[in-house]
Amino acid sequence: MRWLALIWKSLMRSKRRTLLIVGSLVLSVFTVAVLQSLLTTLNAVTDNPNSSNRLVVRHKSGLTQMLPRAYEAYLRQQPEVETVCALQWFGGYYQDPRNFFANFASDEATLFETFREEFGTAGITEAQMKEYIRDGAGCIVGESLAKKNGWKVGDVVPLTGTIFPINPRLTIRLIFKSPKPSDENVLHFHTKLLEEGVPRMKGLVGSFWVRAHRPEDIPRFLERVDRHYANSAYETLTETENSFNLAFVKMLGNIGAIIQGITAAVVVAILIVTGNTMATAIRERTTEIAVFRAMGFSAGRVLSLLLAEGVLLVGVGGLLGVLLANLAANAVRGTLGAAMPFFADFAIQPATAMACMAGALGIGVLATFIPAYAATRRPITEGLRAVG
Amino acid sequence: MKLTLVLLLPFVAYLGWLIWALVAYPVPLSYNLRSLWQRKLSSLSTAAAIALVVGIFVVVLSLAQGLSQAFVSSGRADQAIVLRPNARFELNSSIERDRMRILKVHPLLKRDENGPMASAEVVVVKLFPMADGSDTNVTVRGLETEGIVMRPQVRLLQGRWFRPGLSEVVVPRKMQGRFQGMELGRSLRMGSRNWEIVGTFDAGGASYESEVWSDANDVMQAFRRESYSSMLARLETPQRLEAFVEAVDGDKRLKLEVVGETAYFKELTKAGDPIKILGNLITLILTGAAIFAAMNTMYAAVAGRTKEIGTLRALGFRQREILASFQWESIFLCVTGGIVGSGLALFANGIQTGTTSFETFSDVSFAFTITPGLMAQGVAFSLVMGLLGGFLPAWRASRIPLTEAMKGG
Repeated sequence: MRWLALIWKSLMRSKRRTLLIVGSLVLSVFTVAVLQSLLTTLNAVTDNPNSSNRLVVRHKSGLTQMLPRAYEAYLRQQPEVETVCALQWFGGYYQDPRNFFANFASDEATLFETFREEFGTAGITEAQMKEYIRDGAGCIVGESLAKKNGWKVGDVVPLTGTIFPINPRLTIRLIFKSPKPSDENVLHFHTKLLEEGVPRMKGLVGSFWVRAHRPEDIPRFLERVDRHYANSAYETLTETENSFNLAFVKMLGNIGAIIQGITAAVVVAILIVTGNTMATAIRERTTEIAVFRAMGFSAGRVLSLLLAEGVLLVGVGGLLGVLLANLAANAVRGTLGAAMPFFADFAIQPATAMACMAGALGIGVLATFIPAYAATRRPITEGLRAVG
Repeated sequence: MKLTLVLLLPFVAYLGWLIWALVAYPVPLSYNLRSLWQRKLSSLSTAAAIALVVGIFVVVLSLAQGLSQAFVSSGRADQAIVLRPNARFELNSSIERDRMRILKVHPLLKRDENGPMASAEVVVVKLFPMADGSDTNVTVRGLETEGIVMRPQVRLLQGRWFRPGLSEVVVPRKMQGRFQGMELGRSLRMGSRNWEIVGTFDAGGASYESEVWSDANDVMQAFRRESYSSMLARLETPQRLEAFVEAVDGDKRLKLEVVGETAYFKELTKAGDPIKILGNLITLILTGAAIFAAMNTMYAAVAGRTKEIGTLRALGFRQREILASFQWESIFLCVTGGIVGSGLALFANGIQTGTTSFETFSDVSFAFTITPGLMAQGVAFSLVMGLLGGFLPAWRASRIPLTEAMKGG
């Protein structure tokens, strides 16, 4: 305990210096924590345990090409398949084109079964589901989306089509809650509405989302489907939902490399700055350290005291930085989360926070060791003579 | 814009005073520079930290700029794009053949020796394998010969342009390194057909450098499209644009929408906004950290030289001369870092990368381009750090009472 008091005293020797270096550390650790969390949040999209049972069948040429509805029959016949739901990205907007949210034309009958986890089916009653299935011009929306736009069950939502030349007026039949906030930023309506409104969509669907009984069956199934439709007029590309999502994350470009590059640069910068500050702090105390040694403190003890000082300094800076990042993440979730579904899941994961702290403490030890070691190696007599 | 100017004013005024001080007062500048050299390790480490921050700043700036350039340099004021209403982007749009026939002979279009300057085009997105083995969406544009003429920034680099009906494509030079099998003479597989690569082109940084081009009818057949996506139209003068917008808008047979080409690409540029905002935030925060570090170094420098400052004062140097000289010391420290950092950023120059525009749903290739302008911005940025980080310590140095300074150990 008395060591701690001593360390604290040393840190408070120059309050301004300590404050400035802590400020510098807080900002740096904050940046790194936020950037790394951005990366983990992105990666979480492609490693979603909820989707391990699902896979996506789409046209080999890409998402803008359609598949014949007739493929559904073949998919259903496969022994691994539990259920199949056709999904078409509608890309419509409500009132303002900037007001982006995901909206799909989907098979109303199998939707809830296929995306069981996302709909948190427990909260939805059979009657509500039937209500939506019965109303051909009905739609379902996630709770956060409904809240953002002030929608209630029974309201009519006019969507303006961008990809398709129809502007459906949809009645909200159900507002669902999802375990993951990002899954609530979505609207579904009946696929028939699209097929009847757009002649070129007759008998075509964008993609099939297949739910398998067991995840182990998926690899065999993927290969079989693509082989079956190889060299046909509509070749397929079948992949797991996670790898389908991965393609979207990769579309952002090599964000990972950019973030890692910035992180590396920031780490080196903090190392240099902290090292410099600690060196100054220790140089200032040359005489003091010599006095300590003369009083009988061993070189090792003095070294450990100095190291503890560096670690405490960086530890405080790191901790504040991580806390600040956490506050920022909460703010982002509350504000941007409504606009961009990806940000709804943005959080500083405990693992990221721990990694940042560990990194900061490592830097503290590394940055202090060299000047501290040099200081303790200095002959006592020389230190006592030095003008500090 | 006005706000930034108002915020900048004190800086500029102060900097002006500093420069004036350099000339007017016999500022002990060489003394300051020598003392930087005397504390080599401390100066060097601060400069290095600032170099890193400036390096990040310049690279992030070049990323945002490269992305904006890819779109902005694409549009012309006397050209317009005809789309289906509400489609907003070519990929979403569709125009049936009969409507296209009416549109292509519109009286307001400019004419050259081949007739009206208009190109009916089809845009589809196709997955292509990248060099690292993963797939990404790439825009495939089917166009008419006139469409090539109407985009003068596009230049053929190798081979020749595609000919209609032969399943030939030309690919941008920029895509060749990033995607597999894009060399001249190789063939691409699209829509159950092989397409021969007969040429490569360059578009001076425009977004066409992320597209594979072929004949409109060939693409429509291969992708089973019954309608075009859009039409690119050239008008006699940019002033005719408005008349064309009204004429098409008023034509009940067409039910189509006209967007000026410049406005269209400006809308697309917004794809780069998230990266820009994120980049600006990062640099802003890191700048704060760097300023703190610079301040720390300068405070230490001032504290260690109390006696010397006292001597300077005793020699007759005035307070404001001390202020100016210490401020210059800090600026010199930071600008050295800034120059090194801008230099470091050059390592990122020319690296090809890409991102997906969620508006067009396809890949946009662009390169990190570190221009002298960006490097100058980096150095200017470090100057601001030097000003902000050095001001308080320099102020303190100038206020040290003479008696105390002489006493100080």
